[in-house]
Amino acid sequence: MRGQSTGDLAAIAKWVRLKVVDMAVKANSGHISTAFSQTEILVSLYFGGILRYDPMNPRWEGRDRFIQSKGQGGIGLYPVLARAGFFPLDVLEGFAQEGNMLGVHTDWHIPGIEVVTGSLGHGLPIATGMAQAALNDHKKHLIFVLLGDAELYEGSNWEAALMAAHKGYSNLICMVDRNGQGTIGYTDRIEGQNDGPRLNPLDRKFEAFGFETRVIDGHDFGQIFEALKDVRARPLAAGRPLMIIANTRKGKGCSLMEDERFWHYRVPAGADLESVRRDLRP
Amino acid sequence: MTSTPFIIGMRDAFFDALYEIARTDRNVIIISADNGAPSLDKFAQTLPNQYFTVGIAEQQMIGMAAGMAFEGKKVYTYAIAPFITTRVLEQQKLDVCSMNLPIVNLGIGAGYAYDIMGPSHHTVEDISIMRALPGMKIYCPADAICSRALVDLSYADPSPQYIRFDRAGIPNIYAGRPVDFTPGLVKTREGRDMYIVATGIMVHQALKVSDELKRDGLEVGVIDVCRIKPFPVEWLFEYLEEVPWVVTLEEHLLAGGLGGIVAEIFVDSGVTTPLLRIGQEDRFVFTYGGRSVIWKKYGLDVPSVVEKIQTWMSSRSGGVEFAKRAAVR
Repeated sequence: MRGQSTGDLAAIAKWVRLKVVDMAVKANSGHISTAFSQTEILVSLYFGGILRYDPMNPRWEGRDRFIQSKGQGGIGLYPVLARAGFFPLDVLEGFAQEGNMLGVHTDWHIPGIEVVTGSLGHGLPIATGMAQAALNDHKKHLIFVLLGDAELYEGSNWEAALMAAHKGYSNLICMVDRNGQGTIGYTDRIEGQNDGPRLNPLDRKFEAFGFETRVIDGHDFGQIFEALKDVRARPLAAGRPLMIIANTRKGKGCSLMEDERFWHYRVPAGADLESVRRDLRP
Repeated sequence: MTSTPFIIGMRDAFFDALYEIARTDRNVIIISADNGAPSLDKFAQTLPNQYFTVGIAEQQMIGMAAGMAFEGKKVYTYAIAPFITTRVLEQQKLDVCSMNLPIVNLGIGAGYAYDIMGPSHHTVEDISIMRALPGMKIYCPADAICSRALVDLSYADPSPQYIRFDRAGIPNIYAGRPVDFTPGLVKTREGRDMYIVATGIMVHQALKVSDELKRDGLEVGVIDVCRIKPFPVEWLFEYLEEVPWVVTLEEHLLAGGLGGIVAEIFVDSGVTTPLLRIGQEDRFVFTYGGRSVIWKKYGLDVPSVVEKIQTWMSSRSGGVEFAKRAAVR
């Protein structure tokens, strides 16, 4: 961890969540709960001294590449990028509105965003290409990919996982936001017709592919940093990609939304909105 | 033509020339989805950091290509034509085209080249589908000479591209004569009464059809469209202005293919020259025995094409006699 204390980071996470709610309400566009499950991960990467980046020069050659493969989490990434200095904070106010560069899904026109995502299962294959290119060019930067767990239903991820393990891309750091939900169903809590096929045992699946796998609480800064502390030192030694499965909760931070499927794309109003804001008060 | 033997052809002409470039430019990358070629072996043997095979995983191939192209590589992807187009349409749309990355997709076996392999390997919808992707250029060489020229054109051009190759050793049309393929269209045979606009293997068929129609006293020219998108509109007009009849001939569905493109151009430009589109109807083909069997059954063999043209001309404005008079005027 560099610069910020865990308390500082927790405050930033709260600020990010509040921004997400404001943006969602203003644009009447949801994906709040999926933005909340990834918040601590993003805050750690950008403000905990993990990612190397230069907001004044977003395409700086030496930067780490970060791919928001779960593109629907864009609303949660934008406040992080703005606070990191990639673009002015007031750009957030116009999220998804006419004349604004920020759409619901991340795209490469936005400073700080590398590639277009939104359709799932694209980030990891692209990341393998970036990892190979870095090896070809003897470059030391890392490639980070944030995946949703329900995104892993897309078969392209497993094609990429085969290749990443086969080539031993130790410069590839994958993180799964393991919130246990897709749009309408749970991934591993089989309660009804809408619940998808089981992903578990997810860690052992990636282990079997040839990844080094670490399972953490994705809302615990201490565990996140512990899982990431050697990412820059391990590449040469590891000889295999890293998969961090971060167990999270959709809607984390708001009692109303936490782990509730109902809130995947819903925008709170009235008393619900009051409740959400109360939970996120600094 | 029976089921075609796998001999040196336009694909290997392409890879041989690309190898010479790749030897001096380490940013040239080839990714194959478990598809080999004799001419590819030397990439694997001598340029191991520039040649990758991902297994039978086309989504991975295109995604990986996008990641490498994003980092400044010039990436050539290689697979059987249906698997590099429709199988990975979304990767082509988002990863390649929406990010405008320098990726050249090499699809082998366009049309019914994989004749006896059935509908899984037939590629008769790729032109209409790939041309709907913004920014995607499409080439379709008719022989190895054109194919060789496309190496330099594709290398110099940072646009997303799709090159649809035929499968087997097709005879060279352009051997021994200087041809400029940069306009995207070649007047392969001069015409007076009619032009047949064709692409790929059908340029060869068109030349045979032209020979046959000469017996009716018709001077039928042939235009080879080797760059389907962006379509060489100005050149087409320059040539077609000279004739009263135009036929398009393609081993592809009529829906949105070469004939559809020419028809769109005619309508958009107010051209009223009679146009006959010959290609495949809205169907899958489960016919075996070879490409010639498919052509014969579905009206793409030379006698069927000749008959279609004659019937069409007869049904319009006095037919063949009219055409002769029109040409004399």
